[in-house]
Amino acid sequence: MSSRLASRRNVMAAALIAPLFLLVALSFLAPLATTLYRAIEDSDFSLALPKTSRSLQQWDGVALPPEEAFRSFVEELRQAQQDQAAGAILNRLNFEETGLRTLLLQATRASGRLAEPYRDSMIALNPRWGDPALWRLFKRATGPFTSLFLLRSLDLKPTDQGVAKAAAQDAVFLPLFWRTFEISLVVTILCALLAYPVAYTLSILPQGWANVGMMLVLIPFWTSILVRTTAWFIILQREGPINALLMAMTLVDQPLTMIFTRFAVYIAMVHVLLPFAILPLYSVMKGLKPDYMRAAASLGAPGWKRFLRIYLPLTMPGVAAGSLMVFMLSVGFYITPALVGGPGDQMVSSFIAFFTNVSVNWGMAAALATLLMAMTGVLVVVARLVVPGFRSGGVKA
Amino acid sequence: MKTINIARAGLIVAVLAAAAPALARDLMVVGFGGGFQDNARKHLFQAYAAEKGVKVADDVYNGEMAKVYSMVKANDVTTDVIMVEAPELVRGCEDGVFEKLDWSVIDQKKFIPNGTTACGAGAVGWGVTLFHDPARTPTGPANYADLWDVQKFPGKRTLRSGAKMTLEVALLADGVAAADLYKVLATPDGQKRAFDKLDKIKPHVLWWKSGAQPLQLIGSGEAAYAVGYVGRTILANKNGAKYPIQWNTLLFSFDYWAVVRNSPNKAEAMKLINFMTDAKPLTNLAQDWAVSPANAAVANDPAVIAKNPGMVANHAKEGLFINTEFWVEHGADLEARFNAWLAK
Repeated sequence: MSSRLASRRNVMAAALIAPLFLLVALSFLAPLATTLYRAIEDSDFSLALPKTSRSLQQWDGVALPPEEAFRSFVEELRQAQQDQAAGAILNRLNFEETGLRTLLLQATRASGRLAEPYRDSMIALNPRWGDPALWRLFKRATGPFTSLFLLRSLDLKPTDQGVAKAAAQDAVFLPLFWRTFEISLVVTILCALLAYPVAYTLSILPQGWANVGMMLVLIPFWTSILVRTTAWFIILQREGPINALLMAMTLVDQPLTMIFTRFAVYIAMVHVLLPFAILPLYSVMKGLKPDYMRAAASLGAPGWKRFLRIYLPLTMPGVAAGSLMVFMLSVGFYITPALVGGPGDQMVSSFIAFFTNVSVNWGMAAALATLLMAMTGVLVVVARLVVPGFRSGGVKA
Repeated sequence: MKTINIARAGLIVAVLAAAAPALARDLMVVGFGGGFQDNARKHLFQAYAAEKGVKVADDVYNGEMAKVYSMVKANDVTTDVIMVEAPELVRGCEDGVFEKLDWSVIDQKKFIPNGTTACGAGAVGWGVTLFHDPARTPTGPANYADLWDVQKFPGKRTLRSGAKMTLEVALLADGVAAADLYKVLATPDGQKRAFDKLDKIKPHVLWWKSGAQPLQLIGSGEAAYAVGYVGRTILANKNGAKYPIQWNTLLFSFDYWAVVRNSPNKAEAMKLINFMTDAKPLTNLAQDWAVSPANAAVANDPAVIAKNPGMVANHAKEGLFINTEFWVEHGADLEARFNAWLAK
């Protein structure tokens, strides 16, 4: 083959994968980059109050800022208020320190009475304006980047002296991350334990029955996650079929509380995610040659030993692939815990939804999403190193 | 040649598809749904459509302001008129997601006192009260202090998953007088007191987000007692339920009509708001729904009052008016704190 032909082939191959590459770049990399950027960008203050930002950036941050900063602050804030453009900056500052919204609104409402020198009249209005720490907070908010959202997602906050612990009432995210990984791990283990015998049975059934069994796995897999979760909601509720059955059999005299509990979250998530564990296991088990097991048997290994030494290690890549998929999907679960769980069973995604839909704080939503992704990535890398069978091709025959 | 034509045709289709919604979109009204909106669709939205020959569509939301903020930010405004609660209206007006209303189109004189703000025209009053299903639990709590008595009243309670209303309920249950409530809740000690009080029944509470949920939870027996929207409870009673409404537990406020900033149908939206706050359509609406309109003539019409004993305005003396200024100032902090508290 001539080198011209080879290079033409390379061009052809590149052209063939170009649409795919473009799709991945647009649908995967671009949103990822945007999210990452949103978690650290901080432009609300400098957009709404550009002159103030410039003079604060030049200020040394020791004593009070110059009169010029006070004046442009009052003028620009008043203007922003008139243009109905002050919302973003009020929300941004109030998120960093509760009460700043009130302080700023007080200043804009009184702005007609404020006069030269603005520094003195603002301090007369509220002594807080004489606190250099407040102005240092503003200076930090002039951007263009901030660590505020990422730190707050880790229950920390930026201060003049560096990083400190966030106030107790704001410190919810570390326990939330912990809970998210705990729920995901439990679901992953349950899925692996349940999927293994199912996949094994499917792999040894005669073809006809295997197909029927496969359909039983695939039909729920194709059903909408919302439908399956709602079904569990109906089954588990106080006057649902399970409680009716238990009461009829007089096993319980009071209906059991199953809905809005961790139990309901586990059962619904395992049901939704089980096919992701079964399918890779099935394909690995189906591809196993029976020769190894026969060889072990002919060498005198008893059944349990054949399973532990031969079958289990050989099927580990299937367990690993399935578990990895289940774990990664679990970490981002939102709708199932929201529908069948209580407030104590919500995962990080519920707060991402809260910051996106309710409190309009996209910086926090992006920071939580970024950290969730980073932590999941680290966990997967660690799992690859520690758990046997995780490296692909880890079959040692 | 043929391929070029196909490509060109495809381009034209794509351009048309992109342009069509902006040109031919119906006037879009978004509200909180439920029985009110079902009746408003007939007597307000479609009545206007029939009278003016304009197409009006409506949709439902749960008060999530983020959708409004993002559509204004992205300059892709798909909602023209939206029903909002008072604090969200004031904050949204400050934040620039609502248009200032055009009082040359909307008659400002027809409203009850304080029935309008810069960006909002008073729509209807609403309230929440305590109720339960006597068919399942013969006796229910008569006030909020009772609601905290889990010995006397076992079973789940369902409360709104949010700071507004729920913190008021907690302080009322703790014995704070209605007159002092917002003074107490404005202090850090008062806020701590409210959250401490909520801690005491947290394990016994199911939290609802949409207005339909309290009735579903009571109807399915999941919850024994509920704090829910009184209009919906009245509708359920009309449809055969027998839920006693504890009017002494009423918390009430007004919803407003607002126009989303940069709406392409701004002028039409103002006209629709003027129509929806007029006496005639509201009187018609009052035939089917216990409405408490912000239109003074209808709100004071003895015939309307007599026909609607469930109008929240009739029970204003028993109830607590939800303080708009308080929630404008503290809403963001307390909602975030509530959400954090809930997740713990």
